[in-house]
This record gives sequence, structure tokens and C-alpha cells, in this order.
Amino acid sequence: MHRTTREPLRDMEKNNKSKNRREFLQSGVRLSLALALGGVSGLSLSKAIKDDYVWQIDPFACTQCGRCATECVLNPSAVKCVHAYDLCGYCDLCGGYLKPDSNARTTAAENQLCPTAAIERKFIEEPYFEYHINEDLCIGCAKCVKGCTSFGNGSLHLQIIHDICLNCNECSIARMCPSDAIKRVKASEAYNIKGDWTKPTI
Amino acid sequence: MKKLKYILYTFAFLLLTVSVYAQQQRFPKPEFDSGYTQPSTITPEPRALQLEYFDVLILAIFLAVASYLIIKKRSRRGILWLSVLALLYFGFYRNGCICSIGAIQNVTLSFFDATYAVSITALLFFVLPLIVTLFYGRTFCAGVCPLGAIQDLVIIKPLSLPKWLNKTLGLIPYVYLSLAVLFAATGTDFIICRYDPFIGIFRMDAKALMIILGVAMLLMGMFIGRPYCRFLCPYGVLLSWMSRFSKRHLTITPSECIQCKLCSKSCPFDAIDYPTNEKEVVKSGLGPKRFITYALIIPLWIAAGVFVGVKSHTFLSKANPDVYLAELLISQPEVKNDPDNIDVQTFLASGKSMETLVEEAEVIQDKFYTGSMIAGGFLGLVIGMTLLNTVVFRKRQDYEPHKGNCYSCGRCMDYCPVEK
Amino acid sequence: MELKDKIKLSQNVAVFSGIFCVTVALLLLLNFWQMSKSDPTESKVIEALVERLKQEPNNEELKAEIRNFDLLARKAYFNSQWQVKTGAYLLLFGAIVLALALRYYYSLKSKIEVPDTQHENEIASRILAQKGIIIVGALVLVLGLGASFATVNHLNYYDAENSVAQAVPTPEEEGIEVIEVGENVEEADTKSEQEQALQEPTPEQSQPVETSAEKEVDSGVNENEEKVVKKTEPKPSTAATSNNFFAEIRKNYNSFRGPLAQGISYSKNIPTEWDGTAGTNVVWKSPIPKHGFNSPVIWGDKIFIAGADASSREIYCYSRADGKLLWTAKADNIQGSPSSMPRVTPDTGLSASTLTTDGKRVYAIFATGDVVAFDMNGNRVWAKNLGVPENHYGHSSSLITWTNKLFVQFDTNRGGKVIALEAATGNTAWETVRQSKISWASPVLAEVDGKYQLVLTADPIVAGYDVETGKELWSVDCMMGEVGPSVAYSDGIVVAANEYARMVAIDIKTGETLWEDDMYLPEASSPVAYNGLLFIATSYGVIVCYDLKTGEEYWEDDTGSAIYSSPTIADGKMYLMDNDGVMRIYECSKEMKKISENELGETAGTTPAYMDGYIYIRGENNLYCIGK
Repeated sequence: MHRTTREPLRDMEKNNKSKNRREFLQSGVRLSLALALGGVSGLSLSKAIKDDYVWQIDPFACTQCGRCATECVLNPSAVKCVHAYDLCGYCDLCGGYLKPDSNARTTAAENQLCPTAAIERKFIEEPYFEYHINEDLCIGCAKCVKGCTSFGNGSLHLQIIHDICLNCNECSIARMCPSDAIKRVKASEAYNIKGDWTKPTI
Repeated sequence: MKKLKYILYTFAFLLLTVSVYAQQQRFPKPEFDSGYTQPSTITPEPRALQLEYFDVLILAIFLAVASYLIIKKRSRRGILWLSVLALLYFGFYRNGCICSIGAIQNVTLSFFDATYAVSITALLFFVLPLIVTLFYGRTFCAGVCPLGAIQDLVIIKPLSLPKWLNKTLGLIPYVYLSLAVLFAATGTDFIICRYDPFIGIFRMDAKALMIILGVAMLLMGMFIGRPYCRFLCPYGVLLSWMSRFSKRHLTITPSECIQCKLCSKSCPFDAIDYPTNEKEVVKSGLGPKRFITYALIIPLWIAAGVFVGVKSHTFLSKANPDVYLAELLISQPEVKNDPDNIDVQTFLASGKSMETLVEEAEVIQDKFYTGSMIAGGFLGLVIGMTLLNTVVFRKRQDYEPHKGNCYSCGRCMDYCPVEK
Repeated sequence: MELKDKIKLSQNVAVFSGIFCVTVALLLLLNFWQMSKSDPTESKVIEALVERLKQEPNNEELKAEIRNFDLLARKAYFNSQWQVKTGAYLLLFGAIVLALALRYYYSLKSKIEVPDTQHENEIASRILAQKGIIIVGALVLVLGLGASFATVNHLNYYDAENSVAQAVPTPEEEGIEVIEVGENVEEADTKSEQEQALQEPTPEQSQPVETSAEKEVDSGVNENEEKVVKKTEPKPSTAATSNNFFAEIRKNYNSFRGPLAQGISYSKNIPTEWDGTAGTNVVWKSPIPKHGFNSPVIWGDKIFIAGADASSREIYCYSRADGKLLWTAKADNIQGSPSSMPRVTPDTGLSASTLTTDGKRVYAIFATGDVVAFDMNGNRVWAKNLGVPENHYGHSSSLITWTNKLFVQFDTNRGGKVIALEAATGNTAWETVRQSKISWASPVLAEVDGKYQLVLTADPIVAGYDVETGKELWSVDCMMGEVGPSVAYSDGIVVAANEYARMVAIDIKTGETLWEDDMYLPEASSPVAYNGLLFIATSYGVIVCYDLKTGEEYWEDDTGSAIYSSPTIADGKMYLMDNDGVMRIYECSKEMKKISENELGETAGTTPAYMDGYIYIRGENNLYCIGK
């Protein structure tokens, strides 16, 4: 492997040349990649919003199918029932609290609609009762919501509770929701609490 | 002016009261005599926006530190601890969401869905690692990505995979990427997030199947270094492009390679290129002739890809829930009587007509037509280029990291006996 | 510690933590399996027990058992959740220890490996890689292609199925424009008709006068037809068909609450005195095989009613002359019909919707969502299922037909829509989604400037729809609750009302609310407007007469009995049946003048039909023909 002194020199020259060429090419490509990146981000930046998104249920679109309880990546689900007290009729015969044709209007297990006894019924004054959701127990099965919407004012409804929700990039309930009731909303308006019996038409 | 405002307000107030009155509820709210005060509905705030920006800050800091540790400090130990921190923060604390890999889909969707605007945090999570990679190589993979970190930490006895297997399996991320972009663009699904194998571990909660997948991936990762990063990660494809042309990249040796070959076994990811043996190359006949052949058939690959893409668009579009529902209702009208089929029953009750559903499905299918055509063409191009790459020989005298595939974990630096 | 000891220690730790991990994982799997079995939301046991409790409402033991079960189920559920959480953390902890121990173990054991003297043959591996890439690339493409060939694009099959339905309505849509040509003529004619109706004879009027009046009306209609036909000679116009059709149906009593469903019968000489128990003025009485709350409809010499129970749904055709049951037709074997009956309450039943007929066919809908059409001889023409209407009492909106369409108000718990079916084929002509919730009211046809529209009421909107296109022409957000009464319509004023809500009079052209009131409100009975007066009947038996234009109350009469049936104007008088089978007849005037009170001798909640000097009443079990 003895080489003459001239050959390595030439080799080196050649190497240098190709190296230079390669470096030039590389920086060219780098530049174009950087430009492409800049273009992509610039384009989406033109639409980007400062606010963040969170997922939320539109209670007027919800059909109470019960998937919120089963499709969430969390167990129990981050979807819970909330109570829009403004809308509540404080009924004694509550379609959300009592099973249909319930045996008696009491808190006994055989009369309660909620499978986890998450609704607390409190007497206020004749003939009114307050219903309060214990969120630690609620599993978001929507049974009470169905009852309240069919027979009552619909003051009980489902919402994604944001201190539990992980805010997945793609909400797995939203994908499975048969009525497309779960949408991205701005984090600054993170809840759709029912204020009225019908959907506000704005 | 003030007066006008006042009048307007009164008017608005009147309108409001009228409309409230018009939409009375079934059972009006009672008026209580007992002085009962109504409790307020509990609405815990979502994570503060500042904290989201804090995540971006953390990301930027981690990227800077990782690059510094790899390029300047050359510290394997440092990058190891950084990756542990990243795993704890982005993995277990932030539950693996938000991540740069998933952000691909957000950026894609923002291009194709007029109603969706990407949030700045998601955009930054997508762009920052790519920019840093363009300058310093894939330091993101080494010290910032929680998915990379969890796999890197479980590597125990990595086996070296033969080159052909590495290359062929290396095609999968491209398929994954094109599908992910296709599904995100058509508003069908975020498959990267849905099939993230480690997110269940980060959250300590997931569907059983995903947990099993994650654990299996980790078990496999004990012997095959970073299986997800190498053979699945769609973001890795983009990072690899950037890294190939990075301005500065990790080097195995701080100065001159002494050809000691000590590093050759150090890389768990088979990302070290050996010096080329020119004689063999000349002998092999993998010369310019084959290069030209492969270069010429690239258009053929692309054409084949486009053809297959166009052909399979109906198949792919079935992943879309709307298309699926429309097809189900057409092909099996008897499902209308299945009271347990929630989707069908909800659709029937929604009052939406079949025509509208089918029209919507057709629009989505059209999107899939274009999308899968492009995706197919892209895949064809990738196959052709990868093939072409196998006959390109770069002259190398030393042991060098493969700039595209190297995760900059710094193991090889540890092995190098050369002092600065 | 010696190196050996360290190796041993780490090895032991690894083994232990490994065993620990595997155990925890197995326990978790077991827990998972258990959890999937005991879901508190779907507890079959409790469900069954509660069902049993309904049968024995005072069984204290059973109650105790349910409570126990419920407690256990909830305990199990929350316990297993706690277990999963704890288990997961334990597993994570074990895995971390295992990983650390293993790493330590291998790092102690590992030596710097001797580099291979021989590398993997670069060239050979590249050639292999080429093969691999080609094979995998081709495989991906072939798989894609294979999948594409294996899948069917079902969307392509959609148009073929529906091309028929879509092709039919087109020619008529073209005809719509023509209406404007004949508009003035029509308006004038209808006015004259109304005038005639107003001048229509009082009960004392005799037969010959009445027939001449009818003739007049008929000839008027004929003239009207001729005029319109002349004006629109080139094409058959919608206006002309409308007029023809109206002329036809006003001779009959083809829908719930009469032609156009406005609660007005155009027949004369309706009896005012009878006695069902004594048989006075009862022409015939005929038993009804199956129960139903639908009211009789009449075409020519045939009367149609329907009945249903859990086993079958039937349509009956009776002879007007002698009450003979001419034929019975079953609504069975309908594709898409549910195998088990939907849950309905006994006061609504499976067959609460009244039939309708256009003289060619008779149409029926049941609580199952089955719509079926028979020809006048009882042969089935078509049948389809619209999907089971989700309705907690039972679907009760009646059908109505206009020219060649059949309209279905399909307001269910899942939202509202109105559907027009091609009368001849049953194919959907149009379908309009309504911003409404459930309702039990029935559609009413209203004529505005020569064009007919369908007026529907529901929670929360009262709205009008173009009969040809289904376009929502107007909508007023004013109703609420469980709307049972249909609207009243007269003189361009729509009146909608519902118990616990309000009564609203709406100008049909402007959508403006003319007046509203909530003193007396009907629950099931529909209001009727006639001659500037409005009549309502509350469920607790108060009959109230208002001024249609101002809402001023003229009189009220507390009968003290429940009323679900709707007041009907026949022969210029107001007829109203209560639930006990007593029919009260009042004069249509600003002062309360009760003409008579007649007992049927059988309970009746349906609305009778009035035609050609006879009243046809559906009692609980019998169909009556009242007349001389």
C-alpha cells in the first residue's frame, strides 16, 4: 500500500472539491427546508389563534346515548352531569332522579335512576327539592339527563369537566358521539351550561 | 351619543326579556319562601393558557439543553438525565399530550378545515423541534421526546438488526405519516394520537388493548432499540429529513477518528455507518448503471402509487364515520330496525335526510380521492428514492453516525477513546 | 461489595420485581375481567328486581333485596376502580425497579465488546435491502390494490335506488309558478265560498234549500275550475289540481277534523237530537274489532277507522248505509317494522293517528312508524316504515293528504320533521327537518293566496310548510311543553294552544302574533275557528268562545267532564263530544246558546265525523251512525 506522494495530494484535492460541492448542496437543501418549514408555519400561523382549544359538549345536540361514560380514555369518564339550577323546576317527581314509575318518591335505591347514587336529593320547602350532583360518584352515563330532558326541563345535562379532562388532541368520545355534540371550543369559554330550555338562536 | 347607547341598551334588554319569556320551561322555577339560595353550577376552569405557554418554554429549554449537551458538552450522562426529566414532565406530568408527533395532525387539519385554527402552542410544538433539528440533528429525540425517552430507558441488550431489515421496516413510518396526514386532512381521525402506544402508560389509564400494545412495545424495546421511533414514528420522518441536512450534527469522535472500531457496536439503533470499501463497491457492479435504472423507474413507482392510491380511496374513506354510516345504511337498510345501533338510531331521529348524509359522504370521499392519490404518489416516490439510496455510495473513511437515523443519544461518544 | 455480589443483588432485585410486576399485571387483568362483568349502569339483576317490584309494589323484602344489591354493585364498582388505580401505580413502580435493576445488572456484566473483525458485507446487505424494499413496496401497493378491489363503494348504489322518488316531483314544481296567474280568480272564488258558508242555513233549514245551496257551491267550484284551467291551458297546473281536489274532499270527510283538518264539515242537515242508549235517531251501530283512538274518516259510501293491539294493526272499512264491516286489512309484513311494539301509554295506544283518504287510497300510520296505503277495496298498494317514532306516550299525529301527496308530521323525542310521501307509491317526495321537539298534534292545511300550506305546531315552533316543496314558509317560536292540540285556522289567522303554555293567534302572512292568552288552555282537544269565533275545550271540561281577531272572551261553559275530543263546526253549529260520550251542541254566536246535549251511552274520546245529514261516532267499542 505504498503510495506516491502525488496521489494523496490529488486525492485530497478531489476530496476537498467534492466536499465543498457537497457542503454547498447541503446548505442549499437546508435553506430550502428551512424555507419550507417557515412557509408551513407561516401559513398556519396566519390562521393560528392564541387561545387554546378544549372539548365540550353541546347539551342541545346531545342525545344521551351513554357513550360518554364508556368512550372516554379516562375511567371514570371526564364527562359528568352538571346541574343548571336556573332551569330546574325543583320538582318532587323528578324525571332525572327517580326511575320511571318508581315505587315511591324517596331516596331508596329501588327508586333512584342513577346507578351510582351520584344525585343528592335535598328537601327545601314544600313541594320543592334540590338536586345536587356528587361529581366524585358521577360516571357520566346520562341516564338522569335522559330522564330530565324527556320529562322535565332538561336542567341536568352532560359537560366535560376540565379539571379531570386531559384535553386529548382528538377526543375519543367526540369521534364516537353519534350526534356530533362534542366540539372544540375556546378555552376561555370552556363550558356550555344550559341557560335556557331551548337552544339560543343566535 | 350616550343617550343613543342608553336607548340601545334598553331596547336590547326588552328584546332579551321578551325572548326569555317566549321560551318558558315546562316546569317554571319556583319562588322560594324559605330563603333558599340556589347553588351555582360547578365549572372548574381548564388548564390555564399560561401553563400551555409554559410547556412551550420547557420544550424550548429542553431542546437548547439537549443540543448543548450533545454538540458542545458531549455528555451521554447529561442527555440521559435530561430524557428522564422529559419523560417525567411531558410524559407522566403532561400525560403525553401535547406532543410534537401528534401536532402534525393539528397543523394538517388547520390547512384543510376552514373552521379549525391551530393553536399557537400546537404549532410551536410542531415547528420548534424541526428547526432545532435542522441545526443540530435529532437532539429532540434524544432528550426531549417522552416517547423516545421511555423507550431509550428500557434498552437493555439491544440486538443489531441486519441492514436490509432496517431499510425495509424503515418504510413503515412513511406509510404511517401519509395515512395520518390523509386522515387528518379529511377530518376523519387523528390516528397518531389514537394509536400512541405509550400514552396509556403516561396516563396510567387506557383501554386494555392500548396498554397491552404499549407494554409489548416496551418489552420489545429491551432488545430492539426504540422500535416505535425507528419503525413507526411519523414525526421521525420529518426529523430525519431535517437532520440529514443539519448544520452541525453529533460526531462520534471529538477530533480525529483513529479507526479503533470501538464505537461500531455501541449504537443500539444501527445508525453508525462504516467506512466504505471502495474496491468492493467497484466489484459489486452497483455502479452508475444501476443508479440510472433505479432513477428511471422512480416515475414508475410514483405512477403505481398514484394508481393504487386512487383505487383504494373508497377503502380508506370507510374509516370516516360519516361515510361508514352512509354506506351502512345503504348496504344494510335493515340496521334501521336495530334499536341497539346507536349511530343509526341517532341519525334516523336527527331528522337529517338520507340525501344530505350521502351528499356529505360523497364530499368526503372526493377528498379521499385526491388525498389518497397524493399519498400514493408520495409513497411511490419514497419507495423509489429509498431504492435509489441503496446504490448511492458516499465515500467515507471513518465511522460516522447516519445523520438521518441517528437519535443523538450520545452512546457512541462514550465509547470513543479519543480525547479532545 | 464485590462485583459478584453486586451482580447477584441486582439479579435478585430484577427477579423479584419481575415476579411482582407479573403478579400485579395478572391481578389487574383479573380485575378488568371482573369489571367488565359487573357494570353498575347495566345491572341486569337490579333491573329484573325493579321490574318485579312494579308488580308487587308493597313487597318490603324485595325492596330490601334491591337496596342490598345496589349497594353491593356500587361497592364492587368503586372498589375495582380503586384497585385498578392502585394496581397501575404498583405496576409502574415495579417496572421502574425492574428496569433499573436490569440496567445495572447488564452494565456490570457488560464488557466492551470486541469489534467485529469482519463487518457485515456492505454490498450483500445492500442488495438484500434492495430486494426487501422492492418486495415491501410492492406488497404495500398490492395490499392497497387488493383492499380496493375487495371493497364496494356503496355510495354508488344510492342514486339508483332513489332516482324514481326524485324524478316524480319535478314536473309539479314547474307547475307552481302558474298559481300566480290564477291567483286573483281563486281568491275571489274562495271569498265567495266563504260568504256562502257564512250565510249557510240555520238548523231549522229544510232539505231542498240545503241541496240547492250545495249545488250552488258545486257550480261555483266548477266555474272556478274552468277559469283556472282556461288560464293555464298549456300545462296541468297545481292550482287547478288543488281546486279539483278541494272540491272533491269538501264533499267528503276525508281526514281528522274534516277536509283540510280545520275542524269544519261542509255538510248540511246534521242532526242535533238523539239518544244512544234508547236508540233514538241511531241509524246503525256496529262493533269495532280492535281498539284505537283514531277518528272515523269518510269517502263516498265508505267509513274508515283503524285499530291495533300488540298482535296486529288493522284498518276497517264500514258501509255508510248499513254499518256493515266491508273489509279488514292488516298492516303487517312491512319491511323495517319493529318486531316488538314500542312502549305506549294506554290513553294513547298504538293507533291514535286518524287515517286519511283521497278517494283512491286510504292511508294509515301506527305508533310503530308503519305507514300503509290500501285501495278502496282493501288491497294493499304500498307500505313502509319510517322508523319507530320515539314517543313516550305513543305517536298520535294524524295523516293528511293533498292532491297526490301524503303528509306525515313526524315530531319525536329525537327531533321533528315533516315528510311528504308520494300518495301513489309511498316514495318520499320531500322531507323537511323542523327545529322542533316532540309533538302529538296533527297537520292542518291552510290556504293563503291560493297556495296551500301545511301548518304544524310543536314545542317550540308553530310553522307553515309549502305543500309542494316542503319549504318552511314561516315559523313562530311560541309553543312549549307536550303539544297535543292541532292549530285552528280561519281568515288568515292561525291559533295554536297548549296546556301549561299559552294560546297564540298568529297572522299567517306576516307571522305576527295578534294576541295571546293563557287563562283557558286545551290539552288534547284542538281549537276550531269559524266565522270570526274561536272555540276551545279544556281537558277539565270548560268550553270557551273567543273573538278570533282580538282574543276577547265571549262566553265559557263549565261542563265538568273531561274532554279530549275536538270541537267541530257542522251545519253552522259547534259540536263537541266529551270523554263520557255526551255530545253538546252550541250555536256559533257571541252568546252562549246550548242547543242540545245528547248521550251516546258509551265512552268516547275521539272526534266524530259529520257528513250528509249524519254523524259518525266512534265509541269505546262501537261505531255509530246518527241521523234520521
